[in-house]
Order: sequence, then C-alpha cells, then structure tokens
Amino acid sequence: MRMKFAALAVVTGLLLGTASAIAHHSFAAEFDASQAITLTGTVTKIEWMNPHTYFYIDVKEQTGQVVNWGLEMGSPNGLMRAGWTRNTLKVGDVVSVEGSRAKDKAYIGNARVVVLAATGKRLFAASSQVDTPQQQR
Amino acid sequence: MRKCQRHVLLGALVAVLLTTFWGVGAQQDPVPAARAGGPGARGASGPPEPAPTLADGTPNLGRLPGEKGVWSVPYITNMGERVVEADGSTAVERRMAQGRGGRGFGRGDVPLGGGEGTAGGARGGSKTEPQVPFQPWAAAVYDYNSRNHSKYDPEGYCLPPGGPRLMATPYPMEIVQLPEQKRILMIFEGATHVWREIYMDGRPHPEGDALNPTYLGHSVGRWEGDTLVVDVVGFNEQTWIDYYGHPHTDMLHVVEKYSRPNKNQLRYEATLNDPGAYTKPFTVRWTIPWNPRGELTEYICQENNKYLQSLTDDFGQPLFKKQ
Repeated sequence: MRMKFAALAVVTGLLLGTASAIAHHSFAAEFDASQAITLTGTVTKIEWMNPHTYFYIDVKEQTGQVVNWGLEMGSPNGLMRAGWTRNTLKVGDVVSVEGSRAKDKAYIGNARVVVLAATGKRLFAASSQVDTPQQQR
Repeated sequence: MRKCQRHVLLGALVAVLLTTFWGVGAQQDPVPAARAGGPGARGASGPPEPAPTLADGTPNLGRLPGEKGVWSVPYITNMGERVVEADGSTAVERRMAQGRGGRGFGRGDVPLGGGEGTAGGARGGSKTEPQVPFQPWAAAVYDYNSRNHSKYDPEGYCLPPGGPRLMATPYPMEIVQLPEQKRILMIFEGATHVWREIYMDGRPHPEGDALNPTYLGHSVGRWEGDTLVVDVVGFNEQTWIDYYGHPHTDMLHVVEKYSRPNKNQLRYEATLNDPGAYTKPFTVRWTIPWNPRGELTEYICQENNKYLQSLTDDFGQPLFKKQ
C-alpha cells in the first residue's frame, strides 16, 4: 500500500507539476536550451528559497575531477503544489538531473527533471523550461 | 487500517483529478465553453454552479463562507495575443475556435517562463502585431525586448507588475469584497506578493501632484449591473504590460471589467489608453478559472534572486553586482 501511495504521489507531482511550471525571469536570458545536460551526482546543499530553489551536486567528470554544479528549480510554493516538500531532496541523495546549462558555461543549470537514484522516483522540477530541444514543435 | 489507507488513496486520486480539471496555481487558461461542452463547464459533472452573490445581491467574486477557492491566474506572456481585434476576437480565441489552441495557451505562453527557443521559436516583435497600435518608439522598445528575450523584465528583478499584468502573472489571487467598508481588496500570491485596494466609495482619482505614480496605480471601482468596473490611473513607468515587454508610460489609463458568469469563471477585460506609447486605446481579455480547493501560500520573490547576480548589461558588465 505504501508503495502504491508513493507511486501515486509521483503521478500527482507529474500531473500538477506539468501544469504549474513557473519562472519569474527570462529562461532564455540565463540558460541555453540547446545545451542539454544530463548529470548524476550527490546532493551537497539545498537552498529551499524563493524565487527559485537551488540544489548543488558533486559530479565526477571523465577526468576524475569532481565538480560542484548548481541547479535551479521552481519556487517552494510551486514545488509544493507539484508534490514536493523541503525534505523531498536531502543532502547525500544521489540524483540524476536533466536540464539546460547556463549560457555563460559556468557550472550552473536549470533542472527540468530530477530522478532519485535510490528509488528511480522521477520528480518534476517546476522548471522555467518545459520542453527539451528534442521536443520542439 | 488497510481500509483507511484505501480511502486516503481514493481521496488523493479524486483530488488529483479535480485539481487537474480545475487547474492549480498559475497555469492554463480555462478550456473555452465551446470545447468543454457548455458555458463554464468542467469535466462531465453537468452545468456549473451559478455565480454566488453577497447578502445584498451583489455578485460575489470570491469565496463562499466555509469554502476554499482561489482564482488560478494564467501566465500570459504576450498580451498582444489577447488584444480584441476588429472582428471582435483575439488571436488566442481564433486559434481555439479552429481547434489549434491546445488548452487555451497563447503561442507566447508556451513554454511557461517565455523560454523562447525551446518550443515557440523566435519572437517576431512589433511587425507581427498589427493589432497593437504602437507608437514608433514603443515599437522600437518592444523589438529590443523581443531580441534580448526579455532579460530586463522588471518582474525578473522581483518588482511588481502593474495594470492588467497583475491578472496574467504566476500564482493565484483572491478578491475580498468589503461592502460595508466600501472597498475591495485583491490579494496576489505571486506578482511579488502584493495586494491592491479598490475604493468603492465614489471618490475621484487624486489630481496633479496628489496623484503619486505607483506600481499598481490608483483604483476606483463601481458596479455596472453584475460587472465590476475599475478605473486605474497613476502608474509609474517601472513596469511592463506583459512578459514580452510591451512598454507603457505614466499616462496609462486602464479600465478593467470583472464579471463571474458562473462559479468557475472570472471574465477579465482591460482597456488600455496610453497616449504616451500607443496611437489609440486597445482592449485585452481572457478568462480566469476558479480553483475550488486552492488557498494562497507564501511567495517572497526577493529572498534569493540569483538572477540579479548573473545579469549583465548589453556590454557584458554586471547590472547589479560589482566584480
């Protein structure tokens, strides 16, 4: 039963989240939609704050070097309507992130989808970007 | 215990379906009546409830006692698509009538946040909007904002929107009528968490220097039948009309009309007359859905606005942060 409820919570998040993606600023001014990123790393810090929640992950590059990425999501009110709480993501969690890189090439990105490695739970990030470049119509 | 959990699960599922139909937060326009099976219809549950009234018979634009509910303000990024044109329709309404409008979004409204280049392609600027009566300088400013993807949008700085953008920017709002005090309050979760006061006591706008230009302007209202008519003047020039960056001056005069044809819908119409930026008045309109389960939550935009730290001017220099 608990599993079912967890699954439902994810579906709830997806349904509501899809409809409540919000940005307070220009996506295109800060991020490059053609620079798709897929990262896997360990959460080092979470800023559950307005107008955008940020979380940071340590990502091991091919060279072996570990880089700390900052990833932007929606605001806490938008994320909570999408089924999140401030403890949905915790320091130490391993996550995969799909999103777009910042234009200035810094280790900053906009997260569109966050997947918890431990459970495979796919969490909508209430991102300011809702389509991937591949989904352009 | 098992039975209890099942009920919780069922309840949650019903809640999901209801909120999906009625909308949550700041998102989509309502499905137009023609596509949804009747005026204000939602889902397959028969005709919508009639619009509520206050004890004195005045239309109630807010909640009923004991109930929840908020207006799910849509995120309209380009108000040019909401301009009522010569044939009496807007671009979005025409697309909806032709079955090409999806769920009622304007073309510029997808993706949310105005992520041009992710779905909608490049913005066309003033030349693609003959329905907007730009003065030349206003067209040039609009084209500049189009080219730079609205990077200088004041809302990105966590400043409030003014005029009709209040009813077109993320997160829900509520209308609280206080007839015994002859005023109406509008509370906005988004729009940088502002409220707005509409004087219903028949007072005129202040004149001369007594009219201090502000973000939200000075609002006086009256009822014309079942329509709330709000006259707004005294705007400062720190806001844009919409995310796309239609400019305005402090000569802007807005007349808003609010009506509730049934419990689930708020019809919104605003006529903008700004002889400083446009050659003639124009009217925009859209419909705002009621979310019967919604409540306002907190949104303090100024808390941690990293966008300001990364924002550079046209010469590549930091706009707000010294390096």
